[in-house]
Amino acid sequence: MAEKQKRVAFGALGIFIFLCIWYAATTLTSLGKVMPDPITVLAGFFTAFVEPIGTHSMIMHILVSLRRMLIPYFFGGVLGVLVGILMGWYKLADAILMPYIQMIRPIPPIAWIPLSIVWFGFDEGSKYFLIFLACFFTIALTTYNGVHSVDETLVRAARMLGAKDNQLFTSIVLPTTVPYIFSGLQVALGSAWATIVAAEMIRSSEGVGWLIISGQEVGNMTQIMVGIMAIALTGLLITSIMRGVESKLCAWTVRGK
Amino acid sequence: MKDKKKFQINKYIFISILSICFGIFVWWLVTDGLGIFRSNALPSPVKVFESFIKKWYETKPDGATLLEHLIASLQVALGGYVIGAVIGIPLGIFMAWNDKIDMCVRPVFDLVRTIPGVAWTSVMVTLVGIGFLSKALVIFISAMVAMVINSYSGIKQTKTVHLWVGQTFGASNWELLTKIAIPSALPMIFTGLDVALGSAWTTLVAAELLASTKGLGFMIQQARGIFRLDIVIVGMIVIAITGAVLSTIIQWLGRKMIKGGRT
Repeated sequence: MAEKQKRVAFGALGIFIFLCIWYAATTLTSLGKVMPDPITVLAGFFTAFVEPIGTHSMIMHILVSLRRMLIPYFFGGVLGVLVGILMGWYKLADAILMPYIQMIRPIPPIAWIPLSIVWFGFDEGSKYFLIFLACFFTIALTTYNGVHSVDETLVRAARMLGAKDNQLFTSIVLPTTVPYIFSGLQVALGSAWATIVAAEMIRSSEGVGWLIISGQEVGNMTQIMVGIMAIALTGLLITSIMRGVESKLCAWTVRGK
Repeated sequence: MKDKKKFQINKYIFISILSICFGIFVWWLVTDGLGIFRSNALPSPVKVFESFIKKWYETKPDGATLLEHLIASLQVALGGYVIGAVIGIPLGIFMAWNDKIDMCVRPVFDLVRTIPGVAWTSVMVTLVGIGFLSKALVIFISAMVAMVINSYSGIKQTKTVHLWVGQTFGASNWELLTKIAIPSALPMIFTGLDVALGSAWTTLVAAELLASTKGLGFMIQQARGIFRLDIVIVGMIVIAITGAVLSTIIQWLGRKMIKGGRT
């Protein structure tokens, strides 16, 4: 317990020192001309919830970005898990699909932005496509690895005791694969969030990425920092929720703890 | 039995090749073959291949050849990446080794690392303008974060028993760090180098799409503006291949440098 208190105290001290350095750097040196001090940024962050920036208040910007991210994340996740299991279980599906996945995966999702704009326009469609790409391949591959990590002996033992294919799947393959799926979902969530920020910075009229890019266009550094704060906090929030869900659903694995 | 297994593997490789050929054939069919998609919506594989060859010596339409763009991108990416690694690895090791500093710096670091690298672009462009420096700084940050995380957890995973053995034999704190902790953290550090490279390369593409006058990201963004999708696809392919090659080099280096106990 004392250890934990010490940890919190030192953590608070660290953040306090960081803010002090930031404050001193902006008020005492010429950096202050381009960089706002932490108090201004914090104040800006909280007033953004009441006073709208552009057409929306802060909470709407965050929700818009989250919606853009979560809808394709969901579809990419479901399809990724299905394809991953299919490829892991059937060698034929593996042989047909794997070359495509290996070819497309090295392309960073962000590099798809120009193509997706031409194909799906400047609206939501192109962003959905990007996030789908960012999630699908990661989740499909981790699921595939999960299915491959199933112990062959267990499968044979179950077969010998007369397990049917669907029993084999629900009682052996799935429990082994779920932790892998979750690690894929976690990684995909982080990269989806980074991708949506980039996509919004390149073309959009609302959302957290738009907050920073419009701040850059008018030279408003406070707005940029407020946007970055919103991105960091929302990213932290969604990954912690995901981790919480994981530890509830995969209580039997080490990763879940 | 063995022959049969070999035959099976060959069969699946054959199916894979067939699958790729079929995919390219369908791509050709819907573009050149039947003309369902025009070249400003989806260029044919033949056209992409032609552009790929041509772009090595032609500067149209964006003012530089493929090689010049590639070199410009590599300079920025590797510049930021190397500085990020040089600062990030010692910082991670230091944070993990010293408990008090760990407890102080960790929360600040946890806050900073949740910010995607791209988001820094706006700050850097406002501070130092569009150019080499702003992009290199953005890449520096995103590479450094990955480096710190991995070398930190590498050091933290040092087996306590090994440290005890070292202490029993009278090793100093410095010897414990350099002879036990760092060697056992090397695999993680190399994972960090690989991850950091990936994020540096991705961030670079994003930064070039947003603000630049040269580089692969700039090339595909310009080509998109005039609907030269063949060049866009060429750019994407080069980005993917370069990323994969760099990552292979790092992994190869890792295998060379790490002695014993691979995990």
